[in-house]
Amino acid sequence: MTALFRLFNVTKNYGDRQVLNVEHLEIEAGHIYCILGPNGSGKTTLLRVISLLTLNDTGKLEVLGEHINWAPSQLLRLRRQMAMVTQSSYMFEGSVYYNVAYGLKARKTPEREVKFKVQESLDLLGMLDFINYPARKLSGGEKQKVAIARALAVNPRVLFLDEPTSNIDPSSSVEIERYIKYINEEHATTIVLITHKLFQARKLAKEMFLMWDGHILEWGQTRDLFHDPQDPRTRKFLKGEY
Amino acid sequence: MDVIWQGLKEGFMLILSLDQELIRVTLLSLHVSLSALVIAGIIGIPAGAFLALKNFYGRKLILNITYTLMGLPPVLAGLIVFLFLSNRGPLGDFQLLFTPTAMIIAQVLLGFPLVCGLTARAVMTQQQEVYDTSVMLGATRTQAVLTLIRESRIGIIAALTTALGRLIAEVGAVMMVGGNIQGKTRVLTTSIVLETRMGHDSRALGIGIILLLLAFIIMLIILKLEKRSFKDDSTIQII
Repeated sequence: MTALFRLFNVTKNYGDRQVLNVEHLEIEAGHIYCILGPNGSGKTTLLRVISLLTLNDTGKLEVLGEHINWAPSQLLRLRRQMAMVTQSSYMFEGSVYYNVAYGLKARKTPEREVKFKVQESLDLLGMLDFINYPARKLSGGEKQKVAIARALAVNPRVLFLDEPTSNIDPSSSVEIERYIKYINEEHATTIVLITHKLFQARKLAKEMFLMWDGHILEWGQTRDLFHDPQDPRTRKFLKGEY
Repeated sequence: MDVIWQGLKEGFMLILSLDQELIRVTLLSLHVSLSALVIAGIIGIPAGAFLALKNFYGRKLILNITYTLMGLPPVLAGLIVFLFLSNRGPLGDFQLLFTPTAMIIAQVLLGFPLVCGLTARAVMTQQQEVYDTSVMLGATRTQAVLTLIRESRIGIIAALTTALGRLIAEVGAVMMVGGNIQGKTRVLTTSIVLETRMGHDSRALGIGIILLLLAFIIMLIILKLEKRSFKDDSTIQII
Protein backbone atom coordinates (compact mmCIF):
# COMPACT_ATOMS: atom_id res chain seq x y z
CA MET A 1 0.00 0.00 0.00
CA THR A 2 1.16 3.55 -0.78
CA ALA A 3 1.42 6.00 2.08
CA LEU A 4 -0.47 9.17 1.24
CA PHE A 5 0.87 11.02 4.25
CA ARG A 6 4.16 10.55 6.10
CA LEU A 7 5.21 12.61 9.07
CA PHE A 8 8.54 12.44 10.88
CA ASN A 9 9.16 14.50 14.00
CA VAL A 10 6.63 17.13 12.97
CA THR A 11 6.08 19.85 15.54
CA LYS A 12 3.96 22.96 15.77
CA ASN A 13 4.09 25.65 18.44
CA TYR A 14 1.80 28.56 19.13
CA GLY A 15 3.98 30.94 21.13
CA ASP A 16 5.53 28.94 23.95
CA ARG A 17 2.93 26.22 23.74
CA GLN A 18 3.69 23.10 21.75
CA VAL A 19 0.43 21.89 20.25
CA LEU A 20 1.80 19.16 18.01
CA ASN A 21 4.69 16.76 18.30
CA VAL A 22 4.30 13.75 16.05
CA GLU A 23 7.31 11.45 15.87
CA HIS A 24 5.99 9.25 13.12
CA LEU A 25 2.72 8.83 11.30
CA GLU A 26 1.67 7.16 8.07
CA ILE A 27 -1.69 7.22 6.38
CA GLU A 28 -2.30 4.82 3.53
CA ALA A 29 -4.64 5.17 0.60
CA GLY A 30 -8.18 3.93 0.47
CA HIS A 31 -9.16 3.63 4.15
CA ILE A 32 -11.06 5.59 6.75
CA TYR A 33 -8.81 6.86 9.51
CA CYS A 34 -10.06 8.34 12.69
CA ILE A 35 -8.27 10.78 14.96
CA LEU A 36 -9.52 10.70 18.52
CA GLY A 37 -8.47 12.54 21.61
CA PRO A 38 -9.61 15.00 24.26
CA ASN A 39 -10.06 18.72 23.52
CA GLY A 40 -6.76 20.50 22.96
CA SER A 41 -4.88 17.30 22.18
CA GLY A 42 -3.81 18.57 18.74
CA LYS A 43 -6.26 16.74 16.47
CA THR A 44 -7.29 19.77 14.42
CA THR A 45 -3.71 21.05 14.23
CA LEU A 46 -2.60 17.67 12.88
CA LEU A 47 -5.39 17.77 10.31
CA ARG A 48 -4.51 21.33 9.31
CA VAL A 49 -0.82 20.44 8.93
CA ILE A 50 -1.44 17.40 6.71
CA SER A 51 -4.05 19.29 4.68
CA LEU A 52 -1.40 22.01 4.15
CA LEU A 53 -3.39 24.75 5.83
CA THR A 54 -0.91 25.21 8.69
CA LEU A 55 2.88 25.26 8.40
CA ASN A 56 4.75 22.86 10.66
CA ASP A 57 7.68 24.31 12.60
CA THR A 58 10.03 21.36 12.34
CA GLY A 59 10.13 17.83 10.92
CA LYS A 60 9.56 16.18 7.59
CA LEU A 61 6.19 16.11 5.93
CA GLU A 62 5.23 14.10 2.87
CA VAL A 63 1.81 14.56 1.31
CA LEU A 64 0.54 12.46 -1.59
CA GLY A 65 4.07 11.18 -2.14
CA GLU A 66 5.72 14.61 -2.28
CA HIS A 67 8.07 16.18 0.21
CA ILE A 68 6.47 19.49 1.17
CA ASN A 69 8.42 22.64 0.38
CA TRP A 70 5.37 24.96 0.73
CA ALA A 71 5.84 26.44 -2.74
CA PRO A 72 2.50 27.96 -3.88
CA SER A 73 2.42 25.80 -7.05
CA GLN A 74 2.94 22.64 -4.99
CA LEU A 75 0.30 23.66 -2.45
CA LEU A 76 -2.22 24.29 -5.21
CA ARG A 77 -1.47 21.01 -7.00
CA LEU A 78 -1.75 18.94 -3.82
CA ARG A 79 -4.71 20.78 -2.31
CA ARG A 80 -6.60 20.17 -5.52
CA GLN A 81 -6.48 16.47 -4.70
CA MET A 82 -7.92 16.99 -1.24
CA ALA A 83 -11.07 18.46 0.28
CA MET A 84 -12.22 19.30 3.79
CA VAL A 85 -15.47 19.51 5.70
CA THR A 86 -15.42 21.10 9.14
CA GLN A 87 -17.88 20.98 12.02
CA SER A 88 -19.69 24.14 10.96
CA SER A 89 -18.79 24.37 7.31
CA TYR A 90 -18.59 27.87 5.89
CA MET A 91 -21.15 28.53 3.21
CA PHE A 92 -20.36 31.23 0.67
CA GLU A 93 -23.00 33.90 0.19
CA GLY A 94 -25.08 32.59 -2.69
CA SER A 95 -27.03 29.55 -3.74
CA VAL A 96 -26.33 25.90 -3.03
CA TYR A 97 -25.36 25.64 -6.73
CA TYR A 98 -22.79 28.43 -6.33
CA ASN A 99 -21.27 26.69 -3.32
CA VAL A 100 -21.03 23.24 -4.88
CA ALA A 101 -19.77 24.62 -8.19
CA TYR A 102 -17.06 26.72 -6.48
CA GLY A 103 -14.23 24.16 -6.61
CA LEU A 104 -15.05 23.15 -10.17
CA LYS A 105 -15.10 26.75 -11.36
CA ALA A 106 -11.80 27.41 -9.59
CA ARG A 107 -10.40 24.61 -11.79
CA LYS A 108 -11.93 26.24 -14.88
CA THR A 109 -14.09 23.18 -15.55
CA PRO A 110 -16.39 23.66 -18.59
CA GLU A 111 -19.83 24.97 -17.60
CA ARG A 112 -21.70 21.87 -18.83
CA GLU A 113 -19.50 19.59 -16.75
CA VAL A 114 -19.89 21.88 -13.73
CA LYS A 115 -23.67 21.63 -14.01
CA PHE A 116 -23.56 17.87 -14.35
CA LYS A 117 -21.19 17.33 -11.42
CA VAL A 118 -23.08 19.71 -9.14
CA GLN A 119 -26.33 17.89 -9.84
CA GLU A 120 -24.69 14.50 -9.41
CA SER A 121 -23.13 15.42 -6.05
CA LEU A 122 -26.28 17.01 -4.69
CA ASP A 123 -28.35 14.08 -5.86
CA LEU A 124 -26.07 11.67 -4.03
CA LEU A 125 -26.56 13.61 -0.81
CA GLY A 126 -30.32 13.94 -1.38
CA MET A 127 -30.04 17.72 -1.71
CA LEU A 128 -30.89 18.25 -5.37
CA ASP A 129 -34.19 19.95 -4.53
CA PHE A 130 -32.22 22.70 -2.74
CA ILE A 131 -29.99 23.53 -5.72
CA ASN A 132 -31.24 27.13 -6.07
CA TYR A 133 -31.80 27.72 -2.36
CA PRO A 134 -29.63 30.29 -0.48
CA ALA A 135 -26.98 28.13 1.18
CA ARG A 136 -26.89 30.18 4.38
CA LYS A 137 -30.57 29.62 5.02
CA LEU A 138 -30.20 25.84 5.25
CA SER A 139 -30.35 23.98 8.56
CA GLY A 140 -27.14 22.70 10.17
CA GLY A 141 -27.61 19.17 8.84
CA GLU A 142 -28.45 20.39 5.35
CA LYS A 143 -25.40 22.66 5.34
CA GLN A 144 -23.19 19.72 6.23
CA LYS A 145 -24.65 17.69 3.38
CA VAL A 146 -24.01 20.58 0.97
CA ALA A 147 -20.47 20.86 2.33
CA ILE A 148 -19.92 17.14 1.65
CA ALA A 149 -21.46 17.49 -1.83
CA ARG A 150 -19.19 20.49 -2.44
CA ALA A 151 -16.15 18.45 -1.43
CA LEU A 152 -17.25 15.44 -3.49
CA ALA A 153 -17.86 17.51 -6.63
CA VAL A 154 -14.11 18.02 -7.02
CA ASN A 155 -13.53 14.26 -6.76
CA PRO A 156 -10.80 14.37 -4.09
CA ARG A 157 -8.34 11.57 -3.38
CA VAL A 158 -8.47 12.49 0.30
CA LEU A 159 -11.38 13.87 2.29
CA PHE A 160 -10.71 15.47 5.67
CA LEU A 161 -13.65 15.60 8.04
CA ASP A 162 -13.26 17.64 11.22
CA GLU A 163 -16.11 16.64 13.52
CA PRO A 164 -18.63 16.75 10.67
CA THR A 165 -21.54 15.56 12.81
CA SER A 166 -20.90 17.38 16.08
CA ASN A 167 -23.47 20.13 15.52
CA ILE A 168 -26.29 18.13 14.00
CA ASP A 169 -29.11 15.90 15.19
CA PRO A 170 -28.68 12.11 15.51
CA SER A 171 -30.68 11.15 12.41
CA SER A 172 -28.73 13.55 10.14
CA SER A 173 -25.60 12.28 11.83
CA VAL A 174 -26.42 8.68 10.91
CA GLU A 175 -27.20 9.77 7.36
CA ILE A 176 -23.82 11.52 7.05
CA GLU A 177 -22.04 8.47 8.45
CA ARG A 178 -23.70 6.43 5.71
CA TYR A 179 -22.40 8.85 3.07
CA ILE A 180 -18.90 8.75 4.53
CA LYS A 181 -18.88 4.97 4.25
CA TYR A 182 -20.32 5.13 0.72
CA ILE A 183 -17.77 7.71 -0.48
CA ASN A 184 -14.93 5.58 0.85
CA GLU A 185 -16.23 2.34 -0.63
CA GLU A 186 -17.54 3.54 -3.98
CA HIS A 187 -15.06 6.31 -4.80
CA ALA A 188 -12.06 4.77 -3.00
CA THR A 189 -11.58 8.13 -1.29
CA THR A 190 -9.24 8.10 1.68
CA ILE A 191 -11.00 9.68 4.62
CA VAL A 192 -9.37 11.23 7.68
CA LEU A 193 -12.01 11.89 10.29
CA ILE A 194 -11.78 13.72 13.58
CA THR A 195 -14.54 12.80 15.96
CA HIS A 196 -15.44 12.88 19.63
CA LYS A 197 -17.95 10.10 19.15
CA LEU A 198 -16.36 6.78 20.04
CA PHE A 199 -19.16 4.76 18.46
CA GLN A 200 -18.61 6.67 15.21
CA ALA A 201 -14.93 5.81 15.17
CA ARG A 202 -15.74 2.20 15.91
CA LYS A 203 -18.37 2.07 13.18
CA LEU A 204 -16.42 3.81 10.41
CA ALA A 205 -12.67 3.68 10.86
CA LYS A 206 -10.29 0.94 9.83
CA GLU A 207 -7.47 2.52 11.80
CA MET A 208 -7.40 5.14 14.48
CA PHE A 209 -4.95 7.42 16.22
CA LEU A 210 -5.37 8.50 19.78
CA MET A 211 -3.86 11.92 20.42
CA TRP A 212 -2.75 13.27 23.74
CA ASP A 213 -1.06 16.56 24.44
CA GLY A 214 0.08 16.96 20.84
CA HIS A 215 1.49 13.42 20.65
CA ILE A 216 0.11 10.30 19.05
CA LEU A 217 -0.35 8.12 22.06
CA GLU A 218 -1.49 5.02 20.29
CA TRP A 219 -2.17 4.07 16.71
CA GLY A 220 -3.54 0.89 15.18
CA GLN A 221 -6.50 -1.06 13.89
CA THR A 222 -9.70 0.30 15.42
CA ARG A 223 -10.80 -3.16 16.55
CA ASP A 224 -7.48 -3.84 18.32
CA LEU A 225 -7.41 -0.44 20.00
CA PHE A 226 -10.89 -0.81 21.40
CA HIS A 227 -10.26 -4.40 22.55
CA ASP A 228 -6.76 -4.15 23.84
CA PRO A 229 -5.50 -0.59 24.38
CA GLN A 230 -1.87 -0.57 25.50
CA ASP A 231 -1.64 2.82 27.20
CA PRO A 232 -3.60 3.38 30.42
CA ARG A 233 -4.66 6.84 29.13
CA THR A 234 -6.10 5.26 25.97
CA ARG A 235 -7.96 2.78 28.14
CA LYS A 236 -9.42 5.57 30.25
CA PHE A 237 -10.32 7.66 27.21
CA LEU A 238 -12.07 4.78 25.49
CA LYS A 239 -14.01 4.13 28.68
CA GLY A 240 -15.16 7.71 28.51
CA GLU A 241 -13.27 8.74 31.63
CA TYR A 242 -11.64 11.78 29.98
CA MET B 1 -41.97 77.20 9.02
CA ASP B 2 -43.08 79.24 6.01
CA VAL B 3 -39.61 79.12 4.50
CA ILE B 4 -39.62 75.32 4.73
CA TRP B 5 -43.04 74.99 3.06
CA GLN B 6 -42.02 77.53 0.49
CA GLY B 7 -38.80 75.59 -0.07
CA LEU B 8 -40.63 72.30 -0.53
CA LYS B 9 -43.02 73.92 -2.96
CA GLU B 10 -40.21 75.61 -4.85
CA GLY B 11 -38.26 72.34 -4.99
CA PHE B 12 -41.11 70.54 -6.69
CA MET B 13 -41.73 73.50 -8.97
CA LEU B 14 -38.06 73.50 -9.94
CA ILE B 15 -38.22 69.81 -10.77
CA LEU B 16 -41.40 70.25 -12.80
CA SER B 17 -40.15 73.34 -14.63
CA LEU B 18 -37.13 71.42 -16.00
CA ASP B 19 -35.04 74.56 -15.55
CA GLN B 20 -32.09 74.27 -17.96
CA GLU B 21 -29.57 75.77 -15.53
CA LEU B 22 -30.71 73.42 -12.81
CA ILE B 23 -30.44 70.40 -15.11
CA ARG B 24 -26.90 71.43 -16.03
CA VAL B 25 -25.96 71.89 -12.37
CA THR B 26 -27.54 68.55 -11.44
CA LEU B 27 -25.77 66.69 -14.24
CA LEU B 28 -22.44 68.25 -13.30
CA SER B 29 -22.99 67.26 -9.65
CA LEU B 30 -23.64 63.69 -10.76
CA HIS B 31 -20.67 63.70 -13.12
CA VAL B 32 -18.25 65.01 -10.49
CA SER B 33 -19.40 62.87 -7.56
CA LEU B 34 -19.93 59.63 -9.49
CA SER B 35 -16.60 59.97 -11.32
CA ALA B 36 -14.85 60.58 -8.00
CA LEU B 37 -16.65 57.60 -6.46
CA VAL B 38 -15.69 55.27 -9.33
CA ILE B 39 -12.03 56.36 -9.14
CA ALA B 40 -12.00 56.13 -5.32
CA GLY B 41 -13.56 52.65 -5.64
CA ILE B 42 -11.11 51.43 -8.28
CA ILE B 43 -8.15 52.50 -6.13
CA GLY B 44 -9.70 52.18 -2.67
CA ILE B 45 -11.17 48.66 -2.80
CA PRO B 46 -7.92 46.88 -3.81
CA ALA B 47 -5.91 49.13 -1.46
CA GLY B 48 -8.26 48.33 1.44
CA ALA B 49 -8.15 44.61 0.70
CA PHE B 50 -4.35 44.77 0.51
CA LEU B 51 -4.14 46.54 3.88
CA ALA B 52 -6.48 43.96 5.40
CA LEU B 53 -4.72 40.88 4.07
CA LYS B 54 -1.04 41.70 3.74
CA ASN B 55 1.14 41.88 6.80
CA PHE B 56 4.03 44.26 6.32
CA TYR B 57 6.07 46.73 8.31
CA GLY B 58 4.16 49.99 8.76
CA ARG B 59 0.75 48.47 7.99
CA LYS B 60 -0.79 49.64 11.26
CA LEU B 61 0.53 53.16 10.74
CA ILE B 62 -0.94 53.30 7.22
CA LEU B 63 -4.26 51.99 8.55
CA ASN B 64 -4.27 54.64 11.28
CA ILE B 65 -3.49 57.39 8.76
CA THR B 66 -6.28 56.09 6.50
CA TYR B 67 -8.78 56.10 9.38
CA THR B 68 -7.68 59.62 10.30
CA LEU B 69 -8.14 60.81 6.71
CA MET B 70 -11.69 59.45 6.74
CA GLY B 71 -12.45 62.62 8.66
CA LEU B 72 -10.42 64.90 6.37
CA PRO B 73 -12.15 68.31 6.28
CA PRO B 74 -13.33 69.02 2.71
CA VAL B 75 -11.90 72.55 2.83
CA LEU B 76 -8.48 71.12 3.66
CA ALA B 77 -8.75 68.61 0.81
CA GLY B 78 -9.71 71.50 -1.45
CA LEU B 79 -6.79 73.57 -0.22
CA ILE B 80 -4.30 70.76 -0.87
CA VAL B 81 -5.59 70.25 -4.42
CA PHE B 82 -5.68 74.02 -4.92
CA LEU B 83 -2.02 74.34 -3.94
CA PHE B 84 -1.04 71.51 -6.30
CA LEU B 85 -3.06 72.81 -9.25
CA SER B 86 -2.52 76.55 -8.90
CA ASN B 87 -0.12 78.23 -11.30
CA ARG B 88 2.66 78.14 -8.72
CA GLY B 89 1.93 74.51 -7.80
CA PRO B 90 3.71 71.40 -9.16
CA LEU B 91 0.76 70.56 -11.44
CA GLY B 92 0.01 74.15 -12.44
CA ASP B 93 1.04 73.58 -16.07
CA PHE B 94 -1.97 71.36 -16.61
CA GLN B 95 -4.32 74.35 -16.09
CA LEU B 96 -6.84 72.23 -14.23
CA LEU B 97 -7.84 74.69 -11.53
CA PHE B 98 -11.51 75.79 -11.70
CA THR B 99 -12.45 72.86 -13.93
CA PRO B 100 -14.63 69.82 -13.18
CA THR B 101 -11.45 67.70 -13.30
CA ALA B 102 -10.04 69.61 -10.33
CA MET B 103 -13.32 69.04 -8.48
CA ILE B 104 -13.12 65.30 -9.22
CA ILE B 105 -9.52 65.16 -7.97
CA ALA B 106 -10.50 66.91 -4.72
CA GLN B 107 -13.43 64.53 -4.22
CA VAL B 108 -11.25 61.48 -4.90
CA LEU B 109 -9.01 62.75 -2.11
CA LEU B 110 -12.05 62.78 0.18
CA GLY B 111 -13.60 59.51 -1.01
CA PHE B 112 -10.49 57.34 -1.21
CA PRO B 113 -9.77 57.11 2.57
CA LEU B 114 -13.41 56.23 3.23
CA VAL B 115 -13.56 53.47 0.63
CA CYS B 116 -10.10 52.16 1.53
CA GLY B 117 -10.58 52.25 5.32
CA LEU B 118 -14.07 50.78 5.34
CA THR B 119 -13.11 48.09 2.79
CA ALA B 120 -10.14 47.15 4.98
CA ARG B 121 -12.50 46.86 7.98
CA ALA B 122 -15.00 44.79 5.99
CA VAL B 123 -12.34 42.36 4.76
CA MET B 124 -10.71 42.16 8.20
CA THR B 125 -13.97 40.98 9.76
CA GLN B 126 -13.93 37.89 7.54
CA GLN B 127 -12.80 34.74 9.28
CA GLN B 128 -9.82 32.57 8.38
CA GLU B 129 -12.31 29.85 7.44
CA VAL B 130 -13.36 31.77 4.31
CA TYR B 131 -9.82 31.59 2.94
CA ASP B 132 -9.35 28.00 4.15
CA THR B 133 -12.62 26.87 2.56
CA SER B 134 -11.62 28.47 -0.74
CA VAL B 135 -8.15 26.98 -0.94
CA MET B 136 -9.33 23.55 0.23
CA LEU B 137 -11.79 23.60 -2.66
CA GLY B 138 -8.89 24.19 -5.01
CA ALA B 139 -8.86 27.96 -5.36
CA THR B 140 -5.57 29.68 -6.19
CA ARG B 141 -4.39 32.39 -3.78
CA THR B 142 -5.77 35.07 -6.09
CA GLN B 143 -9.12 33.29 -6.39
CA ALA B 144 -9.28 32.90 -2.60
CA VAL B 145 -8.53 36.60 -2.06
CA LEU B 146 -11.19 37.56 -4.62
CA THR B 147 -13.61 35.29 -2.74
CA LEU B 148 -12.73 37.08 0.50
CA ILE B 149 -13.51 40.41 -1.18
CA ARG B 150 -16.75 38.98 -2.61
CA GLU B 151 -17.77 37.74 0.83
CA SER B 152 -17.09 41.25 2.19
CA ARG B 153 -19.23 42.92 -0.43
CA ILE B 154 -21.96 44.11 1.93
CA GLY B 155 -19.29 46.03 3.85
CA ILE B 156 -17.76 47.28 0.61
CA ILE B 157 -21.15 48.48 -0.65
CA ALA B 158 -21.56 50.26 2.68
CA ALA B 159 -18.15 51.88 2.10
CA LEU B 160 -19.20 53.07 -1.36
CA THR B 161 -22.55 54.42 -0.20
CA THR B 162 -20.91 56.22 2.72
CA ALA B 163 -18.37 57.75 0.35
CA LEU B 164 -21.05 58.77 -2.12
CA GLY B 165 -23.06 60.36 0.68
CA ARG B 166 -20.05 62.41 1.62
CA LEU B 167 -19.11 63.38 -1.92
CA ILE B 168 -22.50 64.42 -3.17
CA ALA B 169 -23.16 66.57 -0.10
CA GLU B 170 -19.69 68.09 0.02
CA VAL B 171 -19.28 71.80 -0.64
CA GLY B 172 -15.93 73.00 0.75
CA ALA B 173 -13.58 71.25 -1.66
CA VAL B 174 -15.57 71.78 -4.85
CA MET B 175 -16.03 75.44 -3.97
CA MET B 176 -12.30 75.91 -3.42
CA VAL B 177 -11.03 74.18 -6.57
CA GLY B 178 -14.09 74.69 -8.78
CA GLY B 179 -14.86 78.28 -7.92
CA ASN B 180 -18.63 77.93 -8.43
CA ILE B 181 -18.49 79.33 -11.95
CA GLN B 182 -21.89 79.44 -13.60
CA GLY B 183 -22.20 77.07 -16.50
CA LYS B 184 -18.78 75.59 -15.81
CA THR B 185 -18.19 74.39 -12.26
CA ARG B 186 -21.41 75.15 -10.42
CA VAL B 187 -22.89 72.09 -8.70
CA LEU B 188 -25.93 71.61 -6.47
CA THR B 189 -24.14 72.21 -3.17
CA THR B 190 -22.38 75.37 -4.33
CA SER B 191 -25.71 76.57 -5.77
CA ILE B 192 -27.28 76.18 -2.33
CA VAL B 193 -24.53 78.33 -0.81
CA LEU B 194 -24.93 80.95 -3.51
CA GLU B 195 -28.73 81.11 -3.29
CA THR B 196 -28.58 81.37 0.52
CA ARG B 197 -26.05 84.22 0.30
CA MET B 198 -28.35 85.98 -2.14
CA GLY B 199 -31.24 85.63 0.31
CA HIS B 200 -33.15 83.12 -1.85
CA ASP B 201 -33.75 80.75 1.08
CA SER B 202 -36.67 78.92 -0.49
CA ARG B 203 -34.84 78.29 -3.73
CA ALA B 204 -31.79 77.11 -1.76
CA LEU B 205 -33.99 74.70 0.16
CA GLY B 206 -35.60 73.57 -3.08
CA ILE B 207 -32.20 72.73 -4.55
CA GLY B 208 -31.40 70.93 -1.28
CA ILE B 209 -34.47 68.75 -1.76
CA ILE B 210 -33.37 67.90 -5.29
CA LEU B 211 -29.95 66.97 -3.90
CA LEU B 212 -31.54 64.68 -1.32
CA LEU B 213 -33.78 63.05 -3.91
CA LEU B 214 -30.79 62.49 -6.16
CA ALA B 215 -28.82 60.85 -3.34
CA PHE B 216 -31.83 58.68 -2.50
CA ILE B 217 -32.21 57.49 -6.09
CA ILE B 218 -28.51 56.68 -6.45
CA MET B 219 -28.47 54.74 -3.17
CA LEU B 220 -31.55 52.83 -4.27
CA ILE B 221 -29.88 51.91 -7.56
CA ILE B 222 -26.73 50.74 -5.75
CA LEU B 223 -28.75 48.63 -3.34
CA LYS B 224 -30.87 47.24 -6.17
CA LEU B 225 -27.75 46.37 -8.12
CA GLU B 226 -26.64 44.40 -5.11
CA LYS B 227 -30.08 42.73 -5.00
CA ARG B 228 -30.44 44.10 -1.52
CA SER B 229 -33.35 46.47 -1.47
CA PHE B 230 -34.84 47.92 1.68
CA LYS B 231 -37.31 45.02 1.55
CA ASP B 232 -34.49 42.56 2.18
CA ASP B 233 -35.62 39.87 4.59
CA SER B 234 -32.16 38.79 5.68
CA THR B 235 -32.16 41.18 8.62
CA ILE B 236 -31.76 40.11 12.24
CA GLN B 237 -35.11 39.23 13.70
CA ILE B 238 -35.55 41.09 17.00
CA ILE B 239 -38.63 39.82 18.76
